[in-house]
Amino acid sequence: MTSKQFKSGAALLFKVLQQHDVKDVFGYPGGAIMPIYDALYDSDVKHFLCRHEQGAAFSAIGYARASGKVGVCLATSGPGATNLITGLADAMSDSIPVVAITGQVATKSMGSDAFQEVDIIGLSLACTKHSFQVRDVNDLAGILTQAFAIALEGRQGPVLVDIPKDIQLAQVEQALSLVNQKNKTDAQEPANVGSALALLNQAKKPMLYVGGGVGMAGAVTQLREFINITGMPSVATLKGLGAVNSDDDCYLGMLGMHGRKAANLAVQECDLLIAVGARFDDRVTGKLAEFAPHAKVIHFDIDQAEIGKRRGVDVAVMGDLKVNLPALAIPLAITEWQEHCQQLGKEFANDYTYLGKGIYAPAVLNEISNTLKANNQAEHTVITTDVGQHQMWTAQHMDFTDPSNFLTSGGQGAMGFGLPAAIGAQISRPQDTVIAVCGDGSFMMNVQELGTIKRYQLPVKIVLVDNSKLGMVRQWQQLFFDERYSETDLSDNPDFVALAQAFNIKAKIITEKEQVSEAIEEMLSHQGPYLLQMKIDAFDNVWPLVPPDTANDKMIESIK
Amino acid sequence: MTNHTLRITAENQPTVMEKLLQVTRYRGFIVTGMTMFPESDSSLLTIELSVQSDNSIEHLQYQLNKLIDITAIKLDSDAASLCRT
Ligand SMILES: Cc1ncc(C[n+]2csc(CCOP(=O)(O)OP(=O)(O)O)c2C)c(N)n1
Repeated sequence: MTSKQFKSGAALLFKVLQQHDVKDVFGYPGGAIMPIYDALYDSDVKHFLCRHEQGAAFSAIGYARASGKVGVCLATSGPGATNLITGLADAMSDSIPVVAITGQVATKSMGSDAFQEVDIIGLSLACTKHSFQVRDVNDLAGILTQAFAIALEGRQGPVLVDIPKDIQLAQVEQALSLVNQKNKTDAQEPANVGSALALLNQAKKPMLYVGGGVGMAGAVTQLREFINITGMPSVATLKGLGAVNSDDDCYLGMLGMHGRKAANLAVQECDLLIAVGARFDDRVTGKLAEFAPHAKVIHFDIDQAEIGKRRGVDVAVMGDLKVNLPALAIPLAITEWQEHCQQLGKEFANDYTYLGKGIYAPAVLNEISNTLKANNQAEHTVITTDVGQHQMWTAQHMDFTDPSNFLTSGGQGAMGFGLPAAIGAQISRPQDTVIAVCGDGSFMMNVQELGTIKRYQLPVKIVLVDNSKLGMVRQWQQLFFDERYSETDLSDNPDFVALAQAFNIKAKIITEKEQVSEAIEEMLSHQGPYLLQMKIDAFDNVWPLVPPDTANDKMIESIK
Repeated sequence: MTNHTLRITAENQPTVMEKLLQVTRYRGFIVTGMTMFPESDSSLLTIELSVQSDNSIEHLQYQLNKLIDITAIKLDSDAASLCRT
């Protein structure tokens, strides 16, 4: 392939994106990226104009997570680039492969505090796997190729490529050389399968602690096979939800701060904890020194730096889960423990009795989940969430058939994630149903993306869980700050139905539980976008809750 | 607080020193000394980094090892004892 096919760096960019099978990108134009937008005009790559660069970044993340492909977003220099940062941080924490392309002022102006110049390389270093600045148009193709490779290899994550305006305009002189790739496949310790098997054989109460790494590794099948063969009880992190078959009676659901009681109790009892693509996050472990206190630990991971980072490990099994999980799948004689876990599961099954008068969000979310299952639609539905109480209720009360069907901001807990992530998911899976479960606070953080839904007529469904509060913060104020409700009231919210309608989105508000089933039916059968606002009691809380720095078996389950 | 010295080989890229220092700080290490010079062909850098922390140096090594431009890291156990506390 020679340079003669290409005019400019900008045109080359789209050629390289196509070589990497990029069909859709999310972005927002501006001065320093205009040559790229000009080249886009002639390109087959489809661009989705978001209404804020944060929306573009979250949409790229939603696209990546729902499809397993790399998500791509574009932004101009300065404020455009800084608006991407929250998205990059989210992708870094949740290990999502994203390539962010930013325009930059021309190389001759760089370092002069030029208009819309910001040191995005410096800013992004802390929240990307790697950041590149292109200084020579002849390096552009090689750098982009590396960016895609780095985003996908090992533990996935975001990469930023900053392209000065003159480089976008420069003519490509040389033949395309795909610069030597310096992808890092880290030298890792050999998988200690032998020692892991020995621990497994000794264990009487082994517990599988399933993290987001399972989905990222594409190892859901291997994990389920492992569970079938070993019969091992399991729990999952927020990002691990969907990996284990939710019908498995030894699966106890989510663990941690808002985990199920059965999950937290069983983990505290286990004598062997097998962490699979999980990182002992503080929201999972509670007080670390008292987390699974009787357990030896086997840790499966792709990232050596996670081994022993927070919890000492007896055996580390490094590398690809698709290879390593089958190597450890042996039948175990743990009937008593299985029965005990099943018993815990039954004893502490979700309970939907509600003493309040109105709509009970956990029950509604569970009903949506059951309706999707009954319609054989669950596999073809992506649920996204914002951050707060509604997020935890979704995690607790909905079942997912795969981690790619549940998208939530885990590591960062970034409000405003739900709507743009749903947009990205819908674009990557146009035939599937996408439902964003939003909080009334979070929804307003990227509400401008309703404009994106309108423009592309995306049939995204929005379930707005409206408690007229910043609910999760309000709950903490109630529990830990003497009911001093500082700045968490949202009783002056806009008219959300009118707001949706302003974007040609069909919308409905419900306030009574008798309205719920019909509203779900109407929403799911509606062809286009739909917003269902449900008013709930401002003082409904998420239970159980493990207070900060407390052992996971000391859950609070109601207000005393 | 324990002192350690790391001998690092890195690609001579514009961001590598910045990222190295950023990760070192973020992971809870104080830099007590540093020398850096390009190898003769100037495509590689040799960096000697002395750090102090209560945290495990092994974990800093793992984190630094993930940086794309860092090609080798060696813990210099003799040098550590030379540092003043
Ligand atoms: C960007 C951002 N800012 C602040 C927070 C802190 N925070 C966590 S939950 C929450 C309240 C969310 O309110 P809402 O979206 O209405 O959801 P609810 O908890 O009421 O279900 C806040 C402010 C956050 N997670 N993200």
